Amino acid sequence: MTDLPRSQHIIASGLVAVVGVWVAYVSYTQEPAAAFLFPRIISTVFVVLALWTFGKALMGKSKVGAGLSRGAMINILPGLVVALIYIFWAAKALGFYTATTATFFILLSLYDPAPHSEMRSWIKRALITAGFLAVMYGLFAQLLNVFTPREIFF
Amino acid sequence: MKKLIAAAAVALTAMTGTAFADGHDAYPERPVMMMVSYGAGGATDFQARIVTMTAGNEDALGMPIAIINKPGAGGRVGWNWFASQADADGYTLGAYNVPHFIAQSIEGGVSYSTESFEPIANWGADPAVFVVGADSEFNSMEDVVNYAKANPGKLTFSGAGLFVGHHIAALQLEKAAGVKLAYIPNNKGGAGAMKAVIAGEVLGGVNNLSDAFRAREAGNVKILGVFDLERNDFMPDVPTLKEQGFEIDNASVNFRGVMVPKGTPQPIIDKLAATVPEMFKNGRVAGKMKAGGSPMHIMTRDEVIAMWKAREETLKELLAGL
Amino acid sequence: MEFLLYFGDVFTPFNFMLLLIGTIGGLILGATPGLSPTMAVALLIPFTFKLEPAQGLILLGAAYTSTVAGGAVSAILLKIPGAPANIATTLDGHTMAQKGEGARALQLSFLASAVGGVFGVLLLIFLTPVLAQWALAFGPSHLFWLAILGVTVIGSLDGSSVVKGLLSGCIGLWLATIGFDDIMGAQRFIFHPSVSGGINVIPALIGLFAIPQVITMFAKGRARLDAEVLSVERHPISKAFGEVFSRTRALSIGTITGSVIGLIPGVGGQIAGLVAYDQSKKMSPERAKFGTGHPEGVIAAESANNAMVGPSLVPLLTLSIPGSPTAAVLLGGLLIHGIFPGSDLFDNHPQVAWTFINSMLVGQILMCIFGLYVAGLAARVAQVPNAVMAAVVLSLAVFGSYSVQNSMGDVYIMAALGTGMYFLERFGFSAAPLVLGLILGPIAEANFIQGSMIANATSSVGQYFFTGLLNLTLIAIVVASIVYSVWMELRHRRYVTKEDAVAKEEALS
Repeated sequence: MTDLPRSQHIIASGLVAVVGVWVAYVSYTQEPAAAFLFPRIISTVFVVLALWTFGKALMGKSKVGAGLSRGAMINILPGLVVALIYIFWAAKALGFYTATTATFFILLSLYDPAPHSEMRSWIKRALITAGFLAVMYGLFAQLLNVFTPREIFF
Repeated sequence: MKKLIAAAAVALTAMTGTAFADGHDAYPERPVMMMVSYGAGGATDFQARIVTMTAGNEDALGMPIAIINKPGAGGRVGWNWFASQADADGYTLGAYNVPHFIAQSIEGGVSYSTESFEPIANWGADPAVFVVGADSEFNSMEDVVNYAKANPGKLTFSGAGLFVGHHIAALQLEKAAGVKLAYIPNNKGGAGAMKAVIAGEVLGGVNNLSDAFRAREAGNVKILGVFDLERNDFMPDVPTLKEQGFEIDNASVNFRGVMVPKGTPQPIIDKLAATVPEMFKNGRVAGKMKAGGSPMHIMTRDEVIAMWKAREETLKELLAGL
Repeated sequence: MEFLLYFGDVFTPFNFMLLLIGTIGGLILGATPGLSPTMAVALLIPFTFKLEPAQGLILLGAAYTSTVAGGAVSAILLKIPGAPANIATTLDGHTMAQKGEGARALQLSFLASAVGGVFGVLLLIFLTPVLAQWALAFGPSHLFWLAILGVTVIGSLDGSSVVKGLLSGCIGLWLATIGFDDIMGAQRFIFHPSVSGGINVIPALIGLFAIPQVITMFAKGRARLDAEVLSVERHPISKAFGEVFSRTRALSIGTITGSVIGLIPGVGGQIAGLVAYDQSKKMSPERAKFGTGHPEGVIAAESANNAMVGPSLVPLLTLSIPGSPTAAVLLGGLLIHGIFPGSDLFDNHPQVAWTFINSMLVGQILMCIFGLYVAGLAARVAQVPNAVMAAVVLSLAVFGSYSVQNSMGDVYIMAALGTGMYFLERFGFSAAPLVLGLILGPIAEANFIQGSMIANATSSVGQYFFTGLLNLTLIAIVVASIVYSVWMELRHRRYVTKEDAVAKEEALS
């Protein structure tokens, strides 16, 4: 287990280094050169720093950052999946308010410690969801006049 | 020939459109949004907010128009979005700035052209003017050109960006006077370009008449010439460049108006084309525009179509040499 | 002393009511993620159409002052900075709230805001002509060096790793170049249609700060956390008064840095808070406490960003040049009534000008009173259970980033940056330097290009960027800032072991 953070560090700094190299490659190959002068300067520094960090991670010398424990990953996964579905699909496809209601309720059910077997905790979750959505609707739709995508219901 | 066919097609769709004007009678049923491709507080944004403020009246659209700003890269960000991502359902209007978007489409690198948009009506025409700091030694365009002739390429002057009205005016001046100038585009638009002039970072600048008028009232600048065919009512004392001996027409005048994306249902375009110019004529709108120092110039859809076409030809010619 | 003559106008019943509406409304709008002061003021402009010019400006002036302070509320309680000005506030403020000291952090932030704000407005009243010259003194070369100064702050902003701090800054600088380049109009790094318009700072800010918060809450899982339920400390207002005025170093550094830097058109407002935070950290004997919930961090950041409010209007009111986006919107509010800022404003409409300035002065005090009153109540947000909080912050982030430009693309950018940031944070990268890079990149680039265009036409690049008193002074400060950071890093390294760094990290997350 002690090596988990180390290999994670290598992956993370490796990804950053890949992005850095890509940025540098694009900056030095794209035209017009005048528009890419600044990206070239930035990407050079970017690549140097990223490779340095990657090298340090390879040698196991990355000091800061605790990495992710297995338990944390398992905890994050369901919530993250729900959040990403909400943002990248549901918000537009179902309309903001419908998607937010559903997501809000699902997240509460996933992470709220109250027991799932009791009716009371389900009612509580539904009430919190309804209350929050009412506030959001009042603030954004009524007060600020933001026209959010609405597909079904509202 | 291609243009003729396009024009014929437009005419044909216009006819069929009116014939089948059903299903859109109730338009608009909800508030309408109007995209402005410059930041909040800029001249275009300010005027757009004034001319649309009466949209909710019963004799206008009967629904309010909300302004959404999508600034960036001299308007390219907003118009790119408008051409490629905006819904063509009549609830998304856009503000256009001519010659800006036409010049940018000729220069390339953007996903729009005059073919991507359907004009509705024009509300304003803001000519470019040449300004210098209040304590500048230049007192006429002749002084400016003489300095440039003595120091080729060293006369620095600011403007709101590349391929916008100010840049067109700068190119016209270089061509008409036969000198080389150093045009410095500003990333903060007209306000940033004006600041460069007042702070003495540059020797002069091309700017909007409305902003320059205000700066002159504040005692910060002198206005040496108007890039238009006639003198302007806001400053009858300032001569046009033509009067001062330079062959410069009104190609750089900044026309502002309303358009919709291509593909918007014809009945909606027709309804907008009929109501929007009337909305601009509202007395309250005219009063606020005059108070803000913004010249109005109302044109109908047909007039704007002709204006776009004429402008495109002049600009193609002017930019060909670049 | 002319402003005293018009003081009465602020207190007529109707005007005072507008002032109250502006202040309370401004606090609420400011605390809403995604609503920057600029947008809040723009939203209020239509309401001023039907008012007298002076009354309209009372509303706008009060709203401007209190949205800037209101941004601290979400920065402290939710770790979502309302605007770039509030980034520095999250660093210590949110950590305080997590420790149950939310009420104290909020009280300190409102008091510091009021002190800074009143000082700034007084500068506006008494020193306008001098300040106007100062605002104009900054040309492209100076703004370029100022942006570089901001970049040097990056290294010391996050104590844990200088290299990773700089690397985060580089990522931010690169993100800022995505989209159309502002001057030439060339397209750069457009790998997905969502980023074709570039990365807007406000959605990025929401994503980078809020989404890692949400995921951190997920990471705690569904376990019962009874043992950890936070008791929110009650904090008497009188103690907060005592504390703010006893920490004079942070308060004065914040106020002075804020008003000096806030004045510079285009740059000031966004970085004043961070530069002030960095300065008071460097000058404090308790340097190591910054970032772990040190009250001085909140005081410096908040006094700076409100001190900027008054001076940032100087270029607008005297020269008719809007120095910041918010000033540009206020210009619209004046023009609509046919009033031109500049000499016309003070000569022909002194009643409008001075009532507006006075309303900002009184607005600061009202904002402070109202803020102190609700601070204790608002701090209870920290007691909201994890699950509810995660869902609330996620929804607010989505609605907030959408409402900036009514754009789904901004929401996608927000989510992508935020999710990436969470994982990067687990490996020692941090969000504050990244955002600083995102903000400073375009300023540095545009001014460098404009400067070299002017330089090529008149003299040479070397002469333009490296001569002149102001250039040299700024370069000297840049060099001093770098030398100081390196020196502190080397000295610091001897004491810090890997275990210490990890322990500090754990304490923060």
